[in-house]
Parts: sequence; structure tokens; C-alpha cells
Amino acid sequence: MIVETDGMTDTLERARVSGQSRGEVIREICRHLVPFQTGERPITGDTVIAKDLTIDSLAIMDMVMELEDHFDISIPMNVVAEIHTVDQLADTIQKLCARR
Amino acid sequence: MKMLPTRHSTLPLHRAGFTSVPAMLDYAAKGETGVTFYNAKGEQLSALPWREIRDRAHVVARKLIGAGFARGERILITADTWPGFFDSFFGAQYAGLLPVPVSIPVGIGGKDAYLDQLRRQFAASGAVAAVGLDDLAGYLADAAREFPAIRLHGGMEALHSLPEKPVDLRPLGADELCYIQFSSGSTRHPHGVQITQRALMANLAGMVGPAGLDVVEGDRAISWLPLYHDMGLIGFLMGPLASQLSIDYLTPRDFARRPMQWLNLISRNRSTISYSPSFGYDLAVRRGAAQVPPDLDLRCWRHAGIGGDMVRADVLERFASTFEPYGFDRTAFIPSYGMAEVCLAITFCPHDTAVRTDTVDRTALAETQRAVPAADPGDHQRARRFVICGRVLPGHRLEVRGPDGAVLADREVGRIFVSGPSVMPGYFGEPEASREVLVDGWLDTGDLGYMLDGEIVVTGRAKDLIIVNGRNVWPQDIEWAVEAKRVVKNGDAAAFSIDTGEGERVVVAVLARVSGDEARASLAREVAGAVREAIAVDCDVALVPPTMGLPTTSSGKLSRARTKANYLAGLYAPKPEAA
Repeated sequence: MIVETDGMTDTLERARVSGQSRGEVIREICRHLVPFQTGERPITGDTVIAKDLTIDSLAIMDMVMELEDHFDISIPMNVVAEIHTVDQLADTIQKLCARR
Repeated sequence: MKMLPTRHSTLPLHRAGFTSVPAMLDYAAKGETGVTFYNAKGEQLSALPWREIRDRAHVVARKLIGAGFARGERILITADTWPGFFDSFFGAQYAGLLPVPVSIPVGIGGKDAYLDQLRRQFAASGAVAAVGLDDLAGYLADAAREFPAIRLHGGMEALHSLPEKPVDLRPLGADELCYIQFSSGSTRHPHGVQITQRALMANLAGMVGPAGLDVVEGDRAISWLPLYHDMGLIGFLMGPLASQLSIDYLTPRDFARRPMQWLNLISRNRSTISYSPSFGYDLAVRRGAAQVPPDLDLRCWRHAGIGGDMVRADVLERFASTFEPYGFDRTAFIPSYGMAEVCLAITFCPHDTAVRTDTVDRTALAETQRAVPAADPGDHQRARRFVICGRVLPGHRLEVRGPDGAVLADREVGRIFVSGPSVMPGYFGEPEASREVLVDGWLDTGDLGYMLDGEIVVTGRAKDLIIVNGRNVWPQDIEWAVEAKRVVKNGDAAAFSIDTGEGERVVVAVLARVSGDEARASLAREVAGAVREAIAVDCDVALVPPTMGLPTTSSGKLSRARTKANYLAGLYAPKPEAA
């Protein structure tokens, strides 16, 4: 798995507070995304999911569903529609986990 | 929670023949059947007998009338599959307002495209109210900001918090409109089909009658089709209502996630009628076949309808082979054909015949527009197989016409025209667009096909419309998405679809004003990404040398048909695989 960890220290810090480790959330997201990586470009927090990867729309839906199951949360459709990057997806999951 | 019954204790089955939607609901409310919502796990979320739907609609209607909404005004509704849709849709029917059902956002990152679509729908429908899922209240507010005519918007609370006043109901009557169906035209220039009460009643009579599904006592319907689509709303809300059936719902999302739940519910609830575009049957095989419960029993499923996209024989055969061990009967398949402009359905195949196909010579089809039986039907290079889609409903007519307007003989391919009581009076507020498709009482469907012993065989579309996974996608919208992201300049993209034999694949041809493999690969990625983000559609990208340019018509407009022909001829990179 190629995940750039630069600049993730503060996000890991944030995670400790919210209960669900940022690292675990990112790891789980990347587990789904790595098969769709293009070329040598690593997946980072800034990766735009629908655009920078070769993942198709059905697979994106699958991923969201599996993340929801894994973390036992439900991401409202308006929130899903505003997510573009890996970081935004991770933020959303952490927020919902903290509220659980 | 108790399951709503399939049969009524006393109410006699009254198959269509009503004058309006309120009249249908008034009758169904005398029985015990109704609507049940299920989640992705197959658990019952809520159940609303038709009686309760009617009572709740009366309350909503008195609130709407009390709030001063005038007869004929439009109310936009986000048509997710949830009780709120029923409250607002039927509430409007009893208040004399016209519902405008619209879709909900798809996929991640789709917010901007969705807001854009809402604004265009507000403009095209002149809506004065907009209600929807609580989650979408913020979007409705955002989009409504530019439309001062919208006096009420928000989640269902916006409706429910209105005071209920002691006013008389004013149900829509037989001579009035019923609702506005957005499913035609591009999202940039949406056309709202005017569904009249009379046309709807006529179409329902055909649908549930002997030439259609021939609904009988003991039938039970199930659907995951979106309610913003004519097949979901008319086929699987109005249809069951017109014949007082119970209907079980999954949301389209939950179906896509867990397609097996569709079949599980059929098995559990002993459902008899369900429909899907070919892609739904495909999804059930591809994603469901691995998790079939051993006790799945589909023997109850007597009508497995197919409509909404080109009917695919291969897909249906795979579905039948996969589920025959679980009691699925392939003669239950009913291919059918229709469009929102005729409410929903125009032809149905006869019952108990399974899927019948006609295999024709590809060359004769392309070069002489004749469907000549193939010499060797097994030769896929030379032969092309089409599904026969049945006879036109009683009281309606269907003709295949040539370029000069003359009615063509059997096996001659031309444009499909239909007439009869189900045909729309026109698009809402669009006399010009209406005149383009309605001539002397005939609707130009924009589809191509040929007749075979009184039955229609649909071969494709005369227009450029692309259908992916049952969704209508206009090529303009794809091109615009690419251009809007400034990935390429305006006019540098052409979108079309190619038939892979099992579905449509979208191809976007773009002028590649870059050189070097890396830059070209990156451009292709950007284009595919922009399309995926804005339209949630996956596409192949063809790179066109700028020296070659994109082909145009004699009037200087982009010619998608010629772009596609060039692509198939291998003029662009990458060359297509042999189709």
C-alpha cells in the first residue's frame, strides 16, 4: 500500500481525541482505493477520489457502503455529495464515529 | 411489524377504469393493501396501507390549500422512496397542485451538478414550492435562492408545520393535469412531460389489462425503481394503486448495494410482478449470484418485465440460467417498450412466451436499413440479435416510417411513431419543443425499429441519447462536464455510446492538444474523471489529433454520429476492440 504519511501527524493527533483513529480510517479507505491507483501516483489526503483514480461509480458506491458497514455509520446523501478527497471522506467518517 | 396483506377481505378488484388519481386512491383506501418500505437488510421500515396514505394526503392537502397555494401551481418533490414522497405527491393531488418529482444526488462529489439540475428544473417547471428529504433541505434552499416565486421549501417538516385549516379539498379532476415528469431532454435543457389524468388512466388501463400485465386477484408487486422515473412512478406506484395491490419497495441505492434483496423479498413476500431494465437483471447475476440463499423460491414471480433500456437477450438468458434452479420461470419475462411521452408503456409482449429474438444481417441493417434474417445467426461478426418487444396497446397505434414519412413494410427500419389516448399533450411551457415531436396527433419517439408480424423490434435511437444503467444521459451534458472543468476547450469534446452487445459504453472523443505519452494519458484521465464526477458515468476516452478535428454537420454543428463512425473505424487512439 502506498500512502504518503507526510503532514498526517496532526490529523493523527486529531483522531486520538475523536475516538476513531485517523490512521485506521485512512487505512480502511486506502484498502478500497489502492486497486484503482493510477501509475506511480501515491494516494494522499488530497487525492480526488472520482478523478485521480480509475475507480468507477459503482465501485465508489460499494466503497462508501462498506465503509459505512465497517464503522457502523450512515453518511447522509448530501454529505456524500460534498466529498471529493480522501481527507474529506476520512473527516466525515471520524465526525460520524465521534457522534455515535 | 405485520406484513400488509396481498388480498383484500371484501373489496372487489377494480382494474383501472378510474377517472383520476384521487379517484383511484379513494377506492384503494377501502381495502387493506398498501405500501411497505424495506431497507438494504430486507427489514421492514414502515408500512402504509392505501387508506393511511389517503388520510395523510388529505391532511397535507388542507395544509397546502390553507397556505394559499393556488390550483395548478407546481410543487417540486425529491422523489426518494420514502413516505414523505407519498404524503407530498398525493397531498398535492387532493389540493389541486401539480407534483414535479425530481431525482436525488448520486455518488460522491455530485453537489454542484445536482444544484445546477435543481435550478434548471425550478426554471422549467415554474415551481412555487419544493419539499424533500431532510438531508436535502439545504440544497433546496440553496437552489431556491434565485427563485423568489418559491414560497415554501425544506424537508417534510416544512409541509407538516403548516397549519391544517378547515378547507374543502379540491382534488385534481379527469380533465386536468396529474404531474410533470422530468425524464426527457438533457439536464441543461430539461423538458417536463405533462402527464394528464386522462392519459395516465388510459395508459394504466392498458398496463394492468389483458394486453399488459393482466393483473389478477392475488398479485403482489415489488420494486426498487426510482420514483422520479416513469417506470418507477407509473409502473410501480400508479399501477399497483390502479389495481389495489400491495407493493413492496427497496430504494434504488439499496438495490444497487444488495441486489439479492430484490429477489429475497420476492421469495419471502411471494411477489408476482416486478420490472427492471436489463441492467438490473445483470446486476442481480453479477453481484448477487454468489450469495443466493439456498431456500430462495422464485416460483411465485409470474411477470418479470423488462423496459427502460434496450432489452438485452444475453443478459436475460444469463439471469434465467442462474435462477432457474431457484424456481425462476423464463417464460415470466415480458419485454416491453415505452417512454414518458406516452406516460409509460406502449407495447407489451404476449405472456408465457419468454424472450423472443430476431437475428438479422449487420451489413444490410447498416447499409440498406433493412432487417434481413441473418444467414448464420451464430456468426456474431455478421449477425445482430434484437429482442421482439410486442404489440401496441389496444386503442393505440404504432407505425414505423421512412425518411419521407411513408409507413414502412415489415423488416424495414425507420422511425417509430405512436398515437392514442396515452400520448402527452406536450412538454410543460415548451410549445416549440412539443411541436418538434408531436405532429398531427402522432408522437415521434425518436427511436428506430422495424415491424415483424404486428410486433415492434427496437433497434436503436435516432437521437443521440445515451442510456447507461437505465439512466438517460444526454451527450451534451457529458461534453459540457468536460468543458466546464476546463479540461478541454468548448467544442473540443464529443460524447456518444457504442453498443457492446451487453450494454452501452460511453466514449468521449476529445481533441488532444498535448503531446507526449504522459500528457496524453493524463488528459484522458482528466476527461474520464470530470465525467465521473459530474455525471457519475464511466467512459472511455478517445484522443483525436487536432489536425483532424471533430467532424461537423453541413450546418457546422458537431456530428456525434460521424465522430462515432470515425472512432469505430479506428481513426482515433486508442482503437476500439472489435465490437
